[in-house]
Amino acid sequence: MKGHNRILEYALSTLLRRKFKNFSVAAIFSILIAILSSILFLTHAYKTETLKLLDNSPEIVLQNMSGGRHELIPIEYIKTISAIPGVGNITPRYWGYYYDSLTSATYTLMAADENMRDVKLIEGRMPESDGECAIGKGVAAIRQAALNEDFFLTLGTEQNVNLKITGIFTTNSTILTNDLVVLTKDNLIRFFNMPSNKATDITIEVNNPSEVTTVARKIRRAYPDSRPILRSELIRTYDNIFNWRAGIVLTMFFGAIAAFMIFVWDKASGISADERQEIGILKAIGWETSDVLALKFWEGAAVALSSFFTGLILAYVHVFYFNAAVLTPVLKGWSVLFPKFEPMPYIDIYQIFVLFFLTVVPYVAASVVPSWKAAISDPDSVMRG
Amino acid sequence: MDAVITTAEVSKVFNMGLADEVRAVTGVSIEIARGGITVLKGPSGSGKTTLLGLIGCMSRPTEGKIVVEGKDVAKLPERFLTAVRRKTFGFIFQQFNLIRGLTVGENVMLPLYPTEIQTGPMTQRLEGILAKLELTDKRGVKIQHLSGGQQQRVAIARALINEPAIILADEPTAHLDTKLSEDFLHIIMALNKDGKTIVIATHDPLIYDKPYIDNIIEMRDGAVTAVKGGCAQ
Repeated sequence: MKGHNRILEYALSTLLRRKFKNFSVAAIFSILIAILSSILFLTHAYKTETLKLLDNSPEIVLQNMSGGRHELIPIEYIKTISAIPGVGNITPRYWGYYYDSLTSATYTLMAADENMRDVKLIEGRMPESDGECAIGKGVAAIRQAALNEDFFLTLGTEQNVNLKITGIFTTNSTILTNDLVVLTKDNLIRFFNMPSNKATDITIEVNNPSEVTTVARKIRRAYPDSRPILRSELIRTYDNIFNWRAGIVLTMFFGAIAAFMIFVWDKASGISADERQEIGILKAIGWETSDVLALKFWEGAAVALSSFFTGLILAYVHVFYFNAAVLTPVLKGWSVLFPKFEPMPYIDIYQIFVLFFLTVVPYVAASVVPSWKAAISDPDSVMRG
Repeated sequence: MDAVITTAEVSKVFNMGLADEVRAVTGVSIEIARGGITVLKGPSGSGKTTLLGLIGCMSRPTEGKIVVEGKDVAKLPERFLTAVRRKTFGFIFQQFNLIRGLTVGENVMLPLYPTEIQTGPMTQRLEGILAKLELTDKRGVKIQHLSGGQQQRVAIARALINEPAIILADEPTAHLDTKLSEDFLHIIMALNKDGKTIVIATHDPLIYDKPYIDNIIEMRDGAVTAVKGGCAQ
């Protein structure tokens, strides 16, 4: 073990002796890992947050369609649907989007109802009367609004609706509440000028999860103009969207990855005459082939591991402290009008391992293999070149 | 004569079978006396460096037999040759072959790095050798900041750190002036008095004309042409 520690020490001193080469490789390696990890971190954070959101969503959301577009749904549908066997709670939902020209952001306006039961307030309370609202952290930040302050929304008639902030939301998933403005049901219906016999959509709970598809089919048969959206479909769709976007970004970086691989191979595998002679000297003074390979392994591992972890830290800081400023526009898509979003730090260890095996392992191999060729030769011939 | 190294019909061919094939050593049979100073003498290209490399297990002969300390090393696998090199030989190369960027102390201790020797004894050994070669105050100096003579003393120190029985030196005075060459010879004589067997490949008369050289093996065109002293041919 003593010998191995000294070989490790010697490997580190060798890296320092070839500072320029090793630091340039490490810098490029770190940047590449940072980019790839950022994509993986951000995609995983989005997917995790979306799944958390969908965890609490009803099995079926029923929308009304007209001319292929989402329309308000008649509340009278509830009576027919509740007669279908296996159907549990049915709740009409009132919500809509509001574009705030002041901040160039789109908020989701929602009526306070029992669907909000999983949302915890960071401070304050839910709105209880007209003229009150609760807002998400993102909305509070972009409007620089605090609890008990005034909050106004502008109607299409250019008339301001003044509200008092009674609460600011927080949940584990900021996607759920970040852009949210919650009003009382009556207030929201009035604000959007919705007919009293219609809702935005209807949520349907099914007692037995294995019957969800059957219930959806029966609803569709009863109301051919409706669209039942299943939770499982939503999960699959979001998964595909984020995978697709991550794939697009990874493809964009493919050229950079390929260039890096060529660069790494060239730097790591092309041992210079000096390095070759050094291997010959080490062999001549009594180092075994395995000692030389251990030396080259530690050299490669030190560069690759330090670059890998530096890249991971850079990616973590980029994604979770700077909200993935570089990648967000590509991965979040329509989010130009979305209030500032802070991804929660969810990390998929499996993805990190995959990235490790696709970058660190090839680099270490590229460091060891060419040296192995020199190390198994007679020291005399290695030193002669 | 008690021979520490024996070669029998040793040949070495480089690039065998290729257009640029070189027969560097041909049918050499010699014996190196234990505890003596032996010089391999000859002009450039005579094969003395190649022969030194062969008897020092730095390369393997194409033909023939080499016996070191009673063991036939010509056919030994590489890992056994390494052990022989480490335990038996100390090398002093013509170009010194020190590693730039490392200090004197690091260069000298380099052969011991992969061994299981503890740091304490290793440091003691280093200090003893540096003191003997008057390099104590240079221990922390990077090798590229030393003069040629100092670098050679570091190369000698590195050759001694494993406490080998045999010292092999290839053209040790090629880059030294007369004064430094004399200094080198004094060191070699002292090592010889300590019981080390010394083999020097050189074409420098300053070395092979010295009266205390026990044996001279003359080479030309890869073959031994004359032997003076106790070495058999």
